[in-house]
Amino acid sequence: MRLIRLLAAMVAGAATLVLTLVLPGRQPGRLRLDRARGAFGLAARGGVRYAANAPRLFAAAGEQRQLLREDLALQTAEDVADTLGAMKGVMMKIGQMASYVDDGLSPAVRHTLARLQDSVPPMSPDLAAAVVEEELGAPPELVFARWDPRPIAAASIGQVHRAVTLDGRAVAVKVQYPGIAETIAADLRNVALLRRMLRIAAPAQDIGALLSELRDRIGEELDYRREAASQYLMAAYYHGHPTITIPAIIDGLSARRVITSELSSGARFAELASWPQHERDLAAETIYRFTFRSLYEVRAFNGDPHPGNYLFHPGGKVTFLDFGLVRHFTPAELQPLMAMARTICVEHDPEAFRASLEKAGFLRPGAPLSTEAIVEHLAVFYDTIREPGPLTITSDYASSVVRRFFDLRSPVAAYIAVPQPYVILQRINLGLFAVLGELSATADWRAIAEEIWPFTHGPAATAMGQAEAAWQAHRQAAAA
Amino acid sequence: MPARELVSLTDTADLYATATGLIERSAAAYASGVPGGTGDDGFFGPASVTWRMSADLASPVAGLRSLLMQALHPLAMAGVDQHSGWRRDPVGRLAATTAYLATVTFGERAAARQAAARVRRIHDHVRGTDAVTGRPYAAGDPALLLWVHGALVDSALAAGSLVGTALSAADGNRYVAEMVTAAELTGVPRHLVPSNIPELDLYIASVRPTLRCTPAAAESMAYLLDPPGMDEDTAEIWQDLRDAAIAVLPRWARQMYGYDAPPPLTPGRRTEIRQSLGVLDALFLGQPGVLEARQRITLRMRAGRPA
Repeated sequence: MRLIRLLAAMVAGAATLVLTLVLPGRQPGRLRLDRARGAFGLAARGGVRYAANAPRLFAAAGEQRQLLREDLALQTAEDVADTLGAMKGVMMKIGQMASYVDDGLSPAVRHTLARLQDSVPPMSPDLAAAVVEEELGAPPELVFARWDPRPIAAASIGQVHRAVTLDGRAVAVKVQYPGIAETIAADLRNVALLRRMLRIAAPAQDIGALLSELRDRIGEELDYRREAASQYLMAAYYHGHPTITIPAIIDGLSARRVITSELSSGARFAELASWPQHERDLAAETIYRFTFRSLYEVRAFNGDPHPGNYLFHPGGKVTFLDFGLVRHFTPAELQPLMAMARTICVEHDPEAFRASLEKAGFLRPGAPLSTEAIVEHLAVFYDTIREPGPLTITSDYASSVVRRFFDLRSPVAAYIAVPQPYVILQRINLGLFAVLGELSATADWRAIAEEIWPFTHGPAATAMGQAEAAWQAHRQAAAA
Repeated sequence: MPARELVSLTDTADLYATATGLIERSAAAYASGVPGGTGDDGFFGPASVTWRMSADLASPVAGLRSLLMQALHPLAMAGVDQHSGWRRDPVGRLAATTAYLATVTFGERAAARQAAARVRRIHDHVRGTDAVTGRPYAAGDPALLLWVHGALVDSALAAGSLVGTALSAADGNRYVAEMVTAAELTGVPRHLVPSNIPELDLYIASVRPTLRCTPAAAESMAYLLDPPGMDEDTAEIWQDLRDAAIAVLPRWARQMYGYDAPPPLTPGRRTEIRQSLGVLDALFLGQPGVLEARQRITLRMRAGRPA
């Protein structure tokens, strides 16, 4: 599928913050159910393990250094303003988000946004060090036991350095370009121009809600403390999880423009494609569980399901990176999503489904449409979870979902709107399907959904589900 | 020259080619004008103010203002109007100017000389009589070439200081002095060319009494300020460029054209204009070869910068 190829290509580019470390010699193995127990053990002696692994992780991060135009490095805050000021930083961010749903963009716009990302070189070592010093109070050579002055990866509004903390942990330090937060904040205030840009980029789309949501989310990304808080929340929730790993945020080394987290290793998405189907299914199951557990239990949705933000290990273990674009939901905002899923998938009640759509603001009340037509139009989004049984998510299915989302010719489309809280969610959902489709992943998605849905709380449907149940029992016991 | 080309403003829409491909073709012209950097540094070089100016976000504003100023010279305008065929291919005409400027600025000396010689040869054939003033003109006339030059240099300074990166007084004078060579290449004797800001100001004041907005100037500039064939949203962004060019015009030039005084360039308005310029620049950057050309320039400027 074109979308995924584009995303995969972007992994190699300067698009995202990722530490895509491939450790040589690791082969996929089989899922071992005792991993859950093992994970608890590891967590308990985590400090020791990280200290022991630090040199290896630090070295691996250097070997996988992303090719950056250090010869063009930005040397001053003025260089940053010239490169990312005057809307360019904002356009780059929009491009990054829009890339998940490229079917809505013309090839020329996609190309322009990609070039814009290519046009941003890293900071010079001195400039990056100056930001660290301003944020953490001392130069990086003093704050860290080891500090690599050369960045190992680009991030959208910053770059990543590898380092070792004074207590011996190998870490990734994301450093924000100086002045970029202020210039992007100012640029986000020019709503008229943003509207024009979005209309040029995606002429067929209803951009009202999208614009508001993009402004909010991009604005949030400017303060790394928010990202640290999101990642902290996720890491705390998934602590000890059998297959989901969230790198820990290092307290005291994270600030507005600097965020420090544990360095991770694992295979890249592109490499996963060469693993046996069994492994791909397990990885997909973990991604699926992570997505919907985060939504329903943490009330947070990672809006950056970029394939470059996953690191894979055998047995379906996945490390999730980059929490810069996390949407937090209130219980009231989640309620309609659950009502929709429940009415169409569990109760099989078309009229109740229609009512829940109207209540949530997805469908204009009193639209002159038959309920059958509405269900017909929207059911495709629920196809994987309407009935129990194993089902393979194919690229064709993912494409059909995307096409339906952007299908404005349907008579139903005129009455459909995506309310602001769900704009990113809807689009990123498409990105999730694209990832699962690229893996040709098979599972009983409905049974997994029933495990996670708060209104069903079904029994463990898979081996991973059993391991997850054990993890949850352990969590609850620990909390009690 | 056939009089039918001096048409009134009301029924000209069909005569114009649209501005389709303006950004694409200007970008191609620019990219082709920036060499790989294996030869000499050209007439200006990486340490010059001229190179720095050409990279400024305000460049399109400077370009547009410069055309607005140049067009006020009836004889210069008549030469363009009666010979260049801009109505048939306005985009090609602008792209040719872009290519020329890029080559003279960044090209090796031989390439710059060659481009200038080609322009001088073309100018040899551009002669006629201006229908408005009844005066004869020749494009190779140093007086006309000097006006075109002076308007360009003055516009770069004005646009830079109001919407771009302002130069220090010393750098401004250096820029004017550096650009003397550009005038010389087109055929103006060196001693006639202003070589600092006060001289440039005096020169422009001295030409001012001969300037006026002829129908050809009004017509061609109306086209430039609101190019047909752009989609609505791009056209709205172009409006900010147009407003900026008009805002940085001298008041007397605005009055000659009959433009309304633009909203004052408050810091907020200046920011908005720069944001629109940034979007246009991103579109430009998205064209083949532009990013690479800029990277070549940056690397050469860094190499030339004292450590």
